[in-house]
Amino acid sequence: MEQLLAALLQLFEPTHLAFLFAGTLLGLIVGILPGMGGTSGLALVLPFVFTMEPSHALAMMIGVLAPTTTSDTFPAVLMGVPGTAGSQATVMDGFPLSKKGMAARALSAAFSASLLGGIFGAFILSISIYYAIPIIMAFGFGEQFLLVVLALLMVGSLTGDNLFKGIASCFLGLIIGSIGTAPITGDPRYTFNTLYLLEGVPLVVVGLGLFAIPEIVGLLDAKGSIAKSLNTKKGWFTGLKDVVKNWFLVLRCSTLGCLVGALPGLGGTVVDWIAYSHLKQTTKDTSQFGKGDIRGVIAPESANNAKEGGALIPTLIFGIPGSGNKVLLLGGFVLIGIEPGLDMVTTNLDLTYLMIWSLAIANILGAGICMGFSSQISKFTLVPYYILAPVMVCLIFFATFNINRDWYDFIGLLSFGIIGITFKNFGWSRPALLIGFFLSSKVELLSYQTQAVYGLSFLSRPVSIILIILCLATIVLLTKQKFDNNYRSDLIKGKLTQIYYIVILLCLPLSMIWFTSSLDYRANLFPISLSVIALSLLVFILIVKIADLKNLTFLNNTFMKFARSNIFEISGNFNNQLFYYFSFIGFLLMNFIFGFPIAAALFINIFILFHNRKAYVSSICISAVLMVILWSLSSLLTLQFPNGLIGLLIDLPWWLGGQMN
Amino acid sequence: MSLFSFASIGNADVNFAGKTVTWVVPFKEGGGTSRFARFIQPFLKKYLPGNPDVQIMHIPGGGAIKGSNYFEKNAKADGTFIFGCSTSVIVNVATGNPLVKYNLSEYRPVVLLPQNTHWFTRSDLAEPHDLSKIKERKLVLYALKTPASADLFHIWIYEKLGIKGAKPIPGLSSSGGYQAFLRGEIHLSSHGAANYVKKVKPEIEKGKVVDLMTLGIIGADGSVSRNPLAPNAPTFPEMYEKVNGKKLEGDDLEAYYAIGAAWSQASKAMMLPADASDEIVKAYRDAAIKMTNDPEFKAKAVKALGPFPLIIGEEAGEIIKKAAVFSDTTKKQLNAALKKHKFTYRVQ
Repeated sequence: MEQLLAALLQLFEPTHLAFLFAGTLLGLIVGILPGMGGTSGLALVLPFVFTMEPSHALAMMIGVLAPTTTSDTFPAVLMGVPGTAGSQATVMDGFPLSKKGMAARALSAAFSASLLGGIFGAFILSISIYYAIPIIMAFGFGEQFLLVVLALLMVGSLTGDNLFKGIASCFLGLIIGSIGTAPITGDPRYTFNTLYLLEGVPLVVVGLGLFAIPEIVGLLDAKGSIAKSLNTKKGWFTGLKDVVKNWFLVLRCSTLGCLVGALPGLGGTVVDWIAYSHLKQTTKDTSQFGKGDIRGVIAPESANNAKEGGALIPTLIFGIPGSGNKVLLLGGFVLIGIEPGLDMVTTNLDLTYLMIWSLAIANILGAGICMGFSSQISKFTLVPYYILAPVMVCLIFFATFNINRDWYDFIGLLSFGIIGITFKNFGWSRPALLIGFFLSSKVELLSYQTQAVYGLSFLSRPVSIILIILCLATIVLLTKQKFDNNYRSDLIKGKLTQIYYIVILLCLPLSMIWFTSSLDYRANLFPISLSVIALSLLVFILIVKIADLKNLTFLNNTFMKFARSNIFEISGNFNNQLFYYFSFIGFLLMNFIFGFPIAAALFINIFILFHNRKAYVSSICISAVLMVILWSLSSLLTLQFPNGLIGLLIDLPWWLGGQMN
Repeated sequence: MSLFSFASIGNADVNFAGKTVTWVVPFKEGGGTSRFARFIQPFLKKYLPGNPDVQIMHIPGGGAIKGSNYFEKNAKADGTFIFGCSTSVIVNVATGNPLVKYNLSEYRPVVLLPQNTHWFTRSDLAEPHDLSKIKERKLVLYALKTPASADLFHIWIYEKLGIKGAKPIPGLSSSGGYQAFLRGEIHLSSHGAANYVKKVKPEIEKGKVVDLMTLGIIGADGSVSRNPLAPNAPTFPEMYEKVNGKKLEGDDLEAYYAIGAAWSQASKAMMLPADASDEIVKAYRDAAIKMTNDPEFKAKAVKALGPFPLIIGEEAGEIIKKAAVFSDTTKKQLNAALKKHKFTYRVQ
C-alpha cells in the first residue's frame, strides 16, 4: 500500500508527468489517424526511450498506449472509419448518431465511457498484481508452454478474417521468429552468414513495417482528407447524462473488456465486438441499434479502454503479450532492462505501480483533452493525408535507423512493409504474425525446458487441464460471434493475384526446411516442425481458394463453408498502394545518396507538391519544422542521422548527416 | 584500497578540453555494462583533465561482437575513445569465436569492476555449505542460457565438484532460472552479488534457501578469500578440496584462475585502445583514482556497482590477459565438459 502511494507521488514529479503527457499526446494523435494505433505509436517511440530513465520510459510508453482507444472515437463517429482496430463497433451507432447531428453527444458519451473503462481496467490490474505471486508460482514450464501455445491459437483463430488464414499467419510469424542463432546449440539458422540476421530481425522494425507502413499507404490510397465536415457543437451534456444513466452497462462492459483483455494474445481487435454483442443480447428493445443508439457507443468504448488494464496482466506477470501492442511494450521492457515475471510483483513492484498509475492518469488526461479541445482536435482530421504521410514516413525512417544505426534495418523495414501491405489487402492477420514472431523463441525454449523437467506429464497437471478447457471454450464461443456468413465471393476481383501470393508464401517454409536440414536436430527440429505445419495449412488454403475460384461443389458442406468464408479479401486498390510503397523505396535511395536530413526535406517537398502543386508554402514550412524537431531530438538524445554517400565524400556537419562528434 | 599506489600528479601533456570522449558499449541500453558506464560517466567528465564531454554510444548486436569490432576499427588512440567491456566480450575472445576481430588482450584497461557468483539450493535438498546430498541425486537441474557464454563455466564447475546428476536446462536466463528454482522445477541456482542481496538473501532468511558456495575473491597474489556478502559460505577452491580430498592445483587451478578472471575480476571494465600512449592511460587511471575518493562516488558506489572495490592499475592488464587468453589445457577441460553434456558448441 505504501509503495502504491509512493509510486503516485513519484509520478507527480514534473519530469514524470511531462513524459506521461508527451506520451499521451502522441497516443491521442496516432489514435485519431485511422488504422494507426498503439502498435505503430509504440514502435515510433521505442528507439528513443532507451536513453531515458526506466521510470520515465514506462510513463511515456503507457502514455502512448492508453489514450489511443479514447481518441479513435473521433474518426469513428465523425467519418465512420475506425481510428484503431478497437473501435470498429463504435462506428455502428456512432456514425449514424453523427449523421443525425448528434456527433457531440456521441463523442462525449464515448469519452466518458472510455475514461471510466480505463480507470476500471487500471483498478482490476492493481488488484490482480496483489494476488499474482501464487499464480506465477503455479505456472511452471509446462503451464507456461501451454499458455503460450493456446495464446497463439486464440490469436490465430480470432484476429484473422478467416480462421485458417489467421492460424497460418501465426505459424509464418513463428517461422520468421526462429531466424537467428538457435538457442540450444548456437547454430546460425537461415542467416546466410550475415551478422545482421544472427540475432533475428529487430522487433521495432517488424512492428513499424507490419503496422505503420500499410496504414500509411492505405490512407494515401483512400485519398483526400480524413474528414469531410464537422459538427461537434451541441449535445455534450446529453452524452454525459447518457453515461450516468447507463452506469451498469459501463460496469458490465468494462468487466468484459478486462476479462477478454487478460486472455493472452487476444484483446485489441475483438473486444469491441464482444461488448457490442453483449449489449444486443441483454437489451429488450434492439430496434435502434445500427441507427444511432447511444448505448452502442458506450458499450464498446468502455470495453476497449478497460482491456488495456486487463491485457497488462499476462504481459507483466508472464511476459506473454495481452494484445498486439503489448508485444512492443515488452520490447520496450527489454530496452530499459526490465524482465517481466516475478520481479514485477516483488523487487520491481514500484515500477509496476508506476505503470498502473500512469494508465489511470493517461486515461483521465486523454479523455480530458479530447473533451476540452474536441473542436480543435476534430479539425486535425481535416489535414489532407498527403501532408501527414511523408512526415510520418520520415519519422519512421529516423526511428528505424536509431534502433541499431544499421542500414540493413531499412531493408528489413521495407520487407516487412510489403508483407504488411499484402497481409492487410489479402485478409491475413498482422497481429497473429507479430505475436507469433515475438513468441517464437519463447515457444522453442519452453518446449525444451518442459521436456527436460516433465516430459509429457505436464499435460496432466491440473492447471494445464484448466487452461486447455478455457482456451477451447473461448475459441468456440468467440468464433461463433465473430464470423458471419455474409461472405460474397463474387464481389472480389483480382483473385488470381491472391492465389499466386500463396505460392510466394510457400517459399518461406520450404526454404527454411532446405537451409536448416543439415543442422543438428536440436537446432532444426523446431523450425522444420513449424514449416511442415505451415506448409499443410497453406496448401489447404490454396485448395480452398482454387475451389472457391472455380466454384467447385465440394464447398457446399458446413465445414467447407466455414473454411471458405473470407478466403479472398481485398481492401482498397492494391496497385495504387504498391505505387506509394515504391515511393518509399525512392526515399531510401535518396537517403543512401544524400544522407537523411537532405533526403527528408526533399522527400516531403516532392511528395506534397506531387499531390498539390500550390502547396509549396506548407511543404517548405512542414519540412523545416520537422527538421528542427529532429535536430533538437538528436542533439538531446545523441541520436544519429543516417549519412549517405555524399557524407563519405565531403565532411558534412552532423545536422546534415555527418558523423556526430 | 591499497591497490592505488599511484602518485596522483596532474599530467600537463594530456588535456581533453573541448573534446568529446565516446564510450562504446557493445550492449543494449539498460544492461549491466550500460548501467556501469552511465554511473561512471559524470565522474569521468569531472576528473579527466580538461573536463571533456563523455557520450555513451550503444552498439548492440551479434552477441557484443558488432560493437567490439566497431571499436577495434574506429577507435582513435588519443583518449577520445573508450570501451565498455564485460564478461561476454572477454568470453567471445577466450573461446575463439571466429567473428571476433578485436584484440582485447592488448587493450589498456583503466578500471575493472569485479563481481562474484553465489551458488545456492533449496533447504529441503541440502544442508548449508554441503554438497553431499546434491551429489547423491540422480537428477540435478540448473539453468544455462547458452554454452557460447560465461554460462559455460557452470558446466565445468559442476563437473569438477563431481555432481554427476547435473543437467543443464537450456535457454534460461539467470532471473528466469531463479523463478523456476523458486517454483521447485530446478535444483541448483546461482546469482551475481547484486541479485543475491536483493532476491536470494530474503529467501535464505525465510529458511527456504541455503547457501552452497561462492566463486571466491581472487587477490593480486592469487590467494582466494571468502566473499564478504556470504562470509560463512566456502569458496570454490575450499569446496573442491572438501569434495575431492586434494587441494585445487595444476590444470584445474589454472582453469579456475582463467574462469575467475573472466567471470569475476573483469566482470565489467573500462578500457583504452591497444595503441593508447602511457600518458593517456595514466591520465585516465589518475581520474579513476580521484573518482574513487569522491564523496558522492563513495556514497552511491556500493548500491550502484556492488560491494567489491574497483581494480585500477597495471594489475588490471594482467587480469585481462589471463581472462582473454585461455591455455590449451583449460580449453581442453572446457570442451570435455561440453562434450559430456552433448553440446555441439566447442571452445576454439
